Amino acid sequence: MIRAFLFLWFAWQTLSPEAAQHMQAGIVADKQRQFDVAIAEFRKVTQLEPTFADGFISLGQTYMEKHDLASAVAPLKRALEANPDSAPAHQLLGYALLAQGYAAEAIPHLQRVGDKTGLGVAEIQTGQLPEAIANLQAALADRPNDPDLLYYLGRASGLLSKQSIDTLVAAYPDSPRAHQAMAENYFVLRQMPEAEKEYREALRLRPEILEVHLELGEVYAGAFQWAKAEEEFRAQTQLQPGNAEAAYRLGAALLEQGKAHEARAEFLRADKLLPDMPETLYSLGKAASLEGDATAAEKEWTRLLSIEKETSLAAQAHFGLAGLYRKQGKTEAAKHEMQEFQRLQGGANPQAPGK
Amino acid sequence: MLKTLLCISFIVATVLSAAALVASVFDVNLPLGLDFILQNSPTPQKYLIETMPGGVALLDYNNDGLLDIFLVNGGRITSPMQTPETFDRHDPRYWNRLYRQNKDGSFTDVTEQAGLANAGDGNYGMGVAVGDYDNDGYPDLFVTNYGKNILYHNNGDGTFSDVTAKAGVAGGGWSVSAGFFDYDNDGKLDLFVTRYMDWDTKHSKDCGGNYHTYCPPEEFPSTTSILYHNNGDGTFTDVSQRSGIAAKKGRALGVAFADYDEDGFTDIFVANDGMQQYLFHNNGNGTFTELGLEAGAALSEDGRRLSGMGVVFQDYDNDGRPDVIVTELPREIYGVYHNDGGGSFSHRSLETGLGVLSSGSSGWGVGLEDFDNDGWKDLFVAQGHVLDNVERIDPSLHYLELPLVAMNHNSRFERVDSGSATPVAGRGAAFGDLNNDGWQDVVMTYLGGHPQVFMNRGGKLHWLVVSLRGTRSNRDGFGARVKVNGQTRFATSAGSYASSSDKRLHYGLGAAEKAKVEIVWPSGIHQTLDDVHADQFLEVREPEKP
Repeated sequence: MIRAFLFLWFAWQTLSPEAAQHMQAGIVADKQRQFDVAIAEFRKVTQLEPTFADGFISLGQTYMEKHDLASAVAPLKRALEANPDSAPAHQLLGYALLAQGYAAEAIPHLQRVGDKTGLGVAEIQTGQLPEAIANLQAALADRPNDPDLLYYLGRASGLLSKQSIDTLVAAYPDSPRAHQAMAENYFVLRQMPEAEKEYREALRLRPEILEVHLELGEVYAGAFQWAKAEEEFRAQTQLQPGNAEAAYRLGAALLEQGKAHEARAEFLRADKLLPDMPETLYSLGKAASLEGDATAAEKEWTRLLSIEKETSLAAQAHFGLAGLYRKQGKTEAAKHEMQEFQRLQGGANPQAPGK
Repeated sequence: MLKTLLCISFIVATVLSAAALVASVFDVNLPLGLDFILQNSPTPQKYLIETMPGGVALLDYNNDGLLDIFLVNGGRITSPMQTPETFDRHDPRYWNRLYRQNKDGSFTDVTEQAGLANAGDGNYGMGVAVGDYDNDGYPDLFVTNYGKNILYHNNGDGTFSDVTAKAGVAGGGWSVSAGFFDYDNDGKLDLFVTRYMDWDTKHSKDCGGNYHTYCPPEEFPSTTSILYHNNGDGTFTDVSQRSGIAAKKGRALGVAFADYDEDGFTDIFVANDGMQQYLFHNNGNGTFTELGLEAGAALSEDGRRLSGMGVVFQDYDNDGRPDVIVTELPREIYGVYHNDGGGSFSHRSLETGLGVLSSGSSGWGVGLEDFDNDGWKDLFVAQGHVLDNVERIDPSLHYLELPLVAMNHNSRFERVDSGSATPVAGRGAAFGDLNNDGWQDVVMTYLGGHPQVFMNRGGKLHWLVVSLRGTRSNRDGFGARVKVNGQTRFATSAGSYASSSDKRLHYGLGAAEKAKVEIVWPSGIHQTLDDVHADQFLEVREPEKP
């Protein structure tokens, strides 16, 4: 900071009094957001001192503040002619070019100053996705949870994923993974018959392929074909007995069909594989309740409430407990649970998420 | 081309899935003379009323022993709506219609001669309720509308008179389902009218962005339903405020009645769309308390709100207590609220098998009737999504559906072939024995088409049909609890969606050739008949004295 101040002070010493006066006036006008006045003053500086880089930088910066990016480029380039090592000029020019879509031209300037955010965004536009991800991750380390950075990182990762899949499909169109990838694409587009067909083809080509049974089960679950969903989830659990999600999904498909006892066994298995997952605990309670095992249902829902207190699942657990206590004639306890349920739902007329 | 292929694949899938089911108990046909078409007039403006009609009633208006059919029509909607809104109800295409059944099973349109051609300017039709409100022995008609409702008094000579103004039951706004019942046990039928929401064509909008869909109910303010007390002199008094009914705003589509806590007073279940369901407990003093949440009959098993549309309030598991089944939208599964006794219900959609049968369907009219006379009430649901373009939004859902017919095997429902191969946008459904053969039939309405008549193929098992003749109680005997060989029905013509069913009480007796009939009349009188022969239509007159 002190070094920059000294640099500016020495630079200013070289200015003519008239140029320094215009420079000062430009700075004041810029602070007051009188951009046109500032631009006129900085322009006079550049006319009086055509080798004074800071005059051009100030002029370019003011154009950028005025959102006139196209006009900013020329003075910033002149600044770099005057001082090729000017970091502010490189950075501003990099952003001015990037904002206008000239990502490839922007990259060298951003590289000169090591601006990882700008570089990451520019590299997305030039298709240098691994580099973009690396730069954005580095930037995110400095500014965790920055929404713009998170967005661009997600975008870069998604594009890289798509690029890999496109390469896979183009190079090996009949491979099991290509069919799986195409199925996933159809699934996202909710084109379920096409998704089903591609998943089936992937399984035909490689019966032991991982995840496909799970994903195909989701296709059937989305189409309310619970028996078929059960079949696929069961196949996944046979391929991967240690997959907690597969056990959970199988339990859910069984529960939808009213097979509470079998569902409960799968939920128990899921809970053992991956303990204390709130969704599993809620479903365990529900299956136990359906089986008429009030003690177990109470235990699981209470367990859930020890982990989650303010979520929609917590609300559902309170609702379930209210029902249990009502059946047991524990009026006060039922009333309390219902009050908790209503509190979490935000009133007496609860709204369902995602209707 | 793509659309055609999709359509073909859907039909093929439908036919294939139907082929795998147990054979239907119904033959689906259109009897001679039943030429009604439900004109809902869909428009690009997506006026919400377009997707909501229309009801059907099965009644014997001329007391000739044959059920007749009354069908409620929508109306013509201009695009965009012109003011004043007339819905062109003077045009015969948009009339409600009364069809008299002939002895040969055909029907004759008697709308004009019965005096029912005038559906009222500015009325877009919704539903119908049937009850003998003046105890003269002839069933009267109450027609609900978007607009003003109409009460038609049955003159007993084949004609009806519009007595709305005198009776004071025009209401207003958007009414859908209605039902006659006697909430104060004074022997005169009162009237409950559901109102959907505070909506009118001027404040209509479409939703769904580029898809242009009908809006969900949350987009419009809720409103109150109406309870009318029958004064016994041909007039009614709006007691909605006094009774506590108006204290609960809702988005009411369906209504059904039964005495769920056996306190001798008929309670009300209201199916609300997109919110909690209402169970109005009759306090026995002219007031009601809404106890849905406390009783466990308001939300889904997971505490989620429901898109309640149709409702039936009968005993599906033969434990003698009335249970509730509410029809809803996909991904919600039809709500089965089992009456556990003690004023408490438990959600049993999954245990009864209805979860898997209904999670992808949209249900409207609904009935619990013993279609195979095995002694267990089976389920019929008219189905079809609200949105006429739902496939574009979610290809796994369908605007046109087959009805759900599910047989009750010891309290678990299993789908059978409905008998229909044509998916439709089903709405109203009414239940009764059209040909008096002892086997329950169904009439279902659907948007833009003729009604579908599901004629029961019959079989060898025995049956009994009980007609109630109230003396101290209301003449229809509505509100009576009638137990036959361990099966209980609650006398009503209400329930389903916007529709009214045969008031006679049908029981399948299985192999039994005799029956024990136990009646608890609304007056409190208990009556028992032993050794009643099966396979007959039995009229039971309420004793004058206890």
